[in-house]
Amino acid sequence: MSPKKSRLMVVDDELIVRESLAAWLEQEGAVVDRAESGEQALDFMQENFYDILFVDIKMPGMGGFGLLERVKQSFPTTVVVVITAYGTVDHAVQAMKLGANDFLVKPFEPDGLGIMVAKLMEHKRLLEEAQYLRDEVTRCWGGPDEIIGQSAPMLELFDTIREVAPSESSVLILGETGTGKELIARAIHAHSKRMGGPFVPINCGAIPESLMESEIFGHEKGSFTGAVRPKKGLIEVADGGTLFLDEVGEITSKMQVDLLRVVQEKLFYRVGGVESIKADFRLISATHRDLPHEVAQGTFRQDFFYRINVITLRVPPLRERKEDIPLLVARCVQRFARETTRDVDSINDEALKILLEYEWPGNVRELENVVERAVVTSKRRIITPEAFAYLTTGDVCARTDYSSRSLERVEIEHIRRTLDEEDWNISRAAKILEVDRTTLHKKIRKYGLNR
Amino acid sequence: MSKEEEKSIPRSPGREIIAVLPLGRVGDDILRVVGDSLQGILRLPVDLREPIPIPEDAFMESRNQYNAMTLIKYLDNELSHGSLKILGITGNDICNPILTYVFGEAYMGGRAAVMSSARLKAGLLGEPVSREHFLDRVVKVAIHEIGHTFNLRHCHTDRCVMRASNTLRELDEKLNYLCDYCEIFLFDSLKQSLKEPDTEDDAL
Repeated sequence: MSPKKSRLMVVDDELIVRESLAAWLEQEGAVVDRAESGEQALDFMQENFYDILFVDIKMPGMGGFGLLERVKQSFPTTVVVVITAYGTVDHAVQAMKLGANDFLVKPFEPDGLGIMVAKLMEHKRLLEEAQYLRDEVTRCWGGPDEIIGQSAPMLELFDTIREVAPSESSVLILGETGTGKELIARAIHAHSKRMGGPFVPINCGAIPESLMESEIFGHEKGSFTGAVRPKKGLIEVADGGTLFLDEVGEITSKMQVDLLRVVQEKLFYRVGGVESIKADFRLISATHRDLPHEVAQGTFRQDFFYRINVITLRVPPLRERKEDIPLLVARCVQRFARETTRDVDSINDEALKILLEYEWPGNVRELENVVERAVVTSKRRIITPEAFAYLTTGDVCARTDYSSRSLERVEIEHIRRTLDEEDWNISRAAKILEVDRTTLHKKIRKYGLNR
Repeated sequence: MSKEEEKSIPRSPGREIIAVLPLGRVGDDILRVVGDSLQGILRLPVDLREPIPIPEDAFMESRNQYNAMTLIKYLDNELSHGSLKILGITGNDICNPILTYVFGEAYMGGRAAVMSSARLKAGLLGEPVSREHFLDRVVKVAIHEIGHTFNLRHCHTDRCVMRASNTLRELDEKLNYLCDYCEIFLFDSLKQSLKEPDTEDDAL
């Protein structure tokens, strides 16, 4: 049996069988619960997570077959072993057809029981491991399964991804922080002809300006102090694959000029190098900034913007696709339960309601963290509303709409919210805003605000 | 153990005593090695009680074996007072409702345990083993079952006596003493049970 303490349940209406089997399993170091009917077993399963259920076929009430069907439906990962009496082996066959993992004919050989339990635990461990590895592979490859969503904006986004992925055009992904821009980029890469090549992400905001050039273009030996050996740039690393410039809005204008040349001519020079190197990569960029606005302001180069913005994808913020929240939560619970080895596997309706009503300024990343916290702190199998109580206590984090961060927009929003809160009582609102009533009237007229 | 030696072990009723009770006819050498090894491991006096006939209501006619669980309940209810734990030893084959046979049986943290010597005589190929080998097996089963009554679970450390053994081969593979971990757990549990107020003694 695996070293991790396993939780098992013996379901039998006969006390003596319940007791003897449970005692045997407890000696193995397992935590064993006893239920005298299928109904009671299902009640227990709401509370706890069980690795293996030992179920007697013949029981009053829903009986062993009824329980087997319900368990396989609601808790498919739980292993079920049916127990039959000598001479009713046909029942065992029937149970196996209904999805039972194994059967025992009582009385059984002690040796056989030990081997069977060890085998089933191993089987379960392998299933969990396979699921984990499959998820990891999907995550590393950025396969389509990793992006979760069935809402209209997401389905539209998936369609666009499939359409644009095979082309060689540059893609600009716009979206608020935490919406999963890198996942979208990986999905495009995974669906493109370059999927066999590398996917090289660069977080432009994280690399110091002075290092950016040598990071991206590489350098020749001796090109600057400390350049003791030649180094390949990330563009070279991305050869035949996809280069992903995350936070492209943070790039300096000098760097924008350099990159523009590479994107246009598909040739570049290492720092200090004289030979041009052929570059073969597809460019995907992402930002949470309002680039057209920055182009208009002159802080972002127009020519570079048009180069990287052949196709624009907009990733909707979580509050615009709240119907995806249940799906995302279910997936997160599953993942964190496994990563933190906590036996939590669902969330109740009231708790979900809190999550559906929350505004999610940090989007999916915030949702992941909130769910991880709930999984780690949950004392029961089901996550209850108390886990999210801190989300409902006032505005922990004011909503920030990154698409309109101008001072004017913020002012308009703030005045509107204050007026709404004060039921459009101008005097009270003016007092709160610490401005004159006439000033407030002027602003209301200027911005065309009305109830 | 001879009658004289047996009498030298204190028989005063007390919490710190481990009782060994033959159910039916059990060889003196069996009782002696079991008594000695339990006393050596637990460092508590062992009381070798006079044999009693095996309770017939534990007999399962359909299986021609005695029900170990019924025996444990009987020992626990009728005979465990005056001792911390009681181990019943029988030469008859025992089983429980779900297993075709058991070498011994005990509840985790319970007061009574039972063991049988019936299946311990055979060699791996069916030939009888030497008396010494047989007694070694008896000792292993006795310590193992008493270990369960002190809340010791099956152990996976090397060849500890608390390792699960469903076959004679597995029984032979393990050693006849506790590993360091199980010994620590045993003494923790022992200290705990000696501290607990005992209602049974008051009743005496």
